Amino acid sequence: MKKEEMVTLISAEGFEFVIDKKAAMVSQTIRNMLTSPGSFAESREGKVTFPEISTAILEKICQYFYWSLQYASGKETEFHIEPEMTLELMMAANYLHT
Amino acid sequence: MGGACSRKRGEVNEESVQRGAAAKYFKTGSSKWLNTSFRLGAKNSQGVSKCPSLIDLCVHKTCKDIDKFIEKYRTFSMLPRDISQLIFNELVNSHSLNETSLEAFRDCALEDILLGEYPGVNDSWMDVIASQALSLLAVDLSGSDVTDCGLLHLEDCINLQNLTFNYCDRLSDLGLEHISGFSNLKSLSFKKNNAITAQGMSAFARLPNLLRLDLERCSKIHGGLVHLKGLTKLESLNVRCCNCITDTDMKPLSGLANLKELQISCSKVTDQGVAYLKGLSNLVLLNMEGSPVTAACLGSISGLLALSYLNLSRCNISDDGCEKISGLVNLKVLNLGFNNITDACLVNLKGLTNLESLNLDSCRIGDEGMTNLAGLVRLKCLELSDTEVGNVGLRHFSGLRSLESLNLSFTIVSDGGLRKLCGLTSLKSLNLDSRQITDIGLATLTSLTSLTHLDLFGCRITDFGTTCLRYFKNLQSLEVCGGGLTDAGVKNIKDLTSLVHLNLSQNTNLTDKTMEMISGLSNLASLNVSNSRITNSGLRYIKPLKNLRSLTLESCGVTANEMKKLQATALPNLLSFRPE
Repeated sequence: MKKEEMVTLISAEGFEFVIDKKAAMVSQTIRNMLTSPGSFAESREGKVTFPEISTAILEKICQYFYWSLQYASGKETEFHIEPEMTLELMMAANYLHT
Repeated sequence: MGGACSRKRGEVNEESVQRGAAAKYFKTGSSKWLNTSFRLGAKNSQGVSKCPSLIDLCVHKTCKDIDKFIEKYRTFSMLPRDISQLIFNELVNSHSLNETSLEAFRDCALEDILLGEYPGVNDSWMDVIASQALSLLAVDLSGSDVTDCGLLHLEDCINLQNLTFNYCDRLSDLGLEHISGFSNLKSLSFKKNNAITAQGMSAFARLPNLLRLDLERCSKIHGGLVHLKGLTKLESLNVRCCNCITDTDMKPLSGLANLKELQISCSKVTDQGVAYLKGLSNLVLLNMEGSPVTAACLGSISGLLALSYLNLSRCNISDDGCEKISGLVNLKVLNLGFNNITDACLVNLKGLTNLESLNLDSCRIGDEGMTNLAGLVRLKCLELSDTEVGNVGLRHFSGLRSLESLNLSFTIVSDGGLRKLCGLTSLKSLNLDSRQITDIGLATLTSLTSLTHLDLFGCRITDFGTTCLRYFKNLQSLEVCGGGLTDAGVKNIKDLTSLVHLNLSQNTNLTDKTMEMISGLSNLASLNVSNSRITNSGLRYIKPLKNLRSLTLESCGVTANEMKKLQATALPNLLSFRPE
């Protein structure tokens, strides 16, 4: 896969998630960062840092991105959310417009 | 955050205009009421499934585990306001909000507390509601047991813009006193309150920003509209079905130049009262249905050129004086149903070429008058039920290519006339309910393939005629109740898979075989095969009809017990069934 088609999402602890750009663009916030011309360093380097999102939550969010793509292609499965992370996940989802 | 509120305002506006317009055309529509009462389910059966957002999934999960959540965190106040608002709304929608979970929303800075028709709401809920303080913008407590004392809690929520207290029969003048401090209020609704009087309404005078006021079905408000005199921003006033409203109540409205919608149906207002409305040049909607006005009132409103919706149904309109209506050239919706008017009146409609909807139900009109409708090429909806219109009159309809809905029930139209309709291919809804229509007439209409609603209730349709129904593949609603159908005819209905409402009652020869044949109509929400030979053993065939919400099999060989069993074992969505 070509390098430009992947993006790197970095958690508060510095953990890097390399995922398909297409998946990351499920988030309206990330989409804006990656597509707005010039102003964001993120759009040039394909790297986005989230200093307020923990690794566990960011991992869950990446899972959601891929789940959402599957859902859109007709595979309507259930997305499991662990009760103890619901609150934090909700805040992150709110920030990411996801 | 102000954006959210302006959005809300827009919605309310449209709803009231459309409801006012649409509700009028369904008098004879025997199965149409189902659309409204079954609203909740309809969305699922039709809607395309859209991927839920992560925030939706989280909100849903939170609401599912709400008890555990509250035990752990006790409050939602640490969440951003928009998230706690989403959780609150979801709890209300899923009917899982109670006094305990409500407590978790104390001081959450919520903007909307919309609890209309929510069970169990009373004064003890008011403290948490009021704790949203300056954030609170909209409150709906319709149908609750909240009292005047309860309203006192809201006193400090001075940013409130929308208040809805419909069907709150414990509220009275005293409660109005408590809301008089909300100078930012834009919308206020107190439908069906029998305690509010002119005295309490003096509180309205202190609401200078009020745009919308709804006092529908309030029986003691006579004399109170005088307090609206200074509310010059008011755009919409609804005093429908307030029988106490008289001519003197119209006088204080005369200066409300921004008024766009005025509903005074079923009042005691006469032509003298309407005269006070002369200066309301921005009026777009005027509903006077069922009020004792005559054609003379048209003299007062003929200058209201912005008027696009006028309802004069069930008034005392006669031909004399009707000529003034010709000046209202911007009218889009006109209802003159149930008036003593003849063809002579229809001459005045000739120039109203913007008309999209015309209701002449039960007027004394006939073929001659129809010539005047020939040029109304924007007409989408034409109601001629219970008139003397016949085959000759239909000749003038061939140019009405936009027509989507036509009601010719109980007219003298017969088979020979229906040919004139075959070019009206935009027609979606056609009502031909009358005895003189037969298979022969139906056969001339097979070009109307866009039809979604076809009412042949009393028509003499036989099995032979049902072959024509195959052309109407988009039919969602069909009524064929003339008595002439047998199982053989139902064979031609079994492939109309879009059907949602099907009425085949009064066809006394239908047997269990009919039930077997319609078992593939999986979209059916309502089915009526009363007065037939269907028996208990026919019920098993309709078990696959999981969307069925209403089932009527009166005067058949079906017992209430078996119906109950069917509901319990196979059709959980069945809300209403007969025999029961």
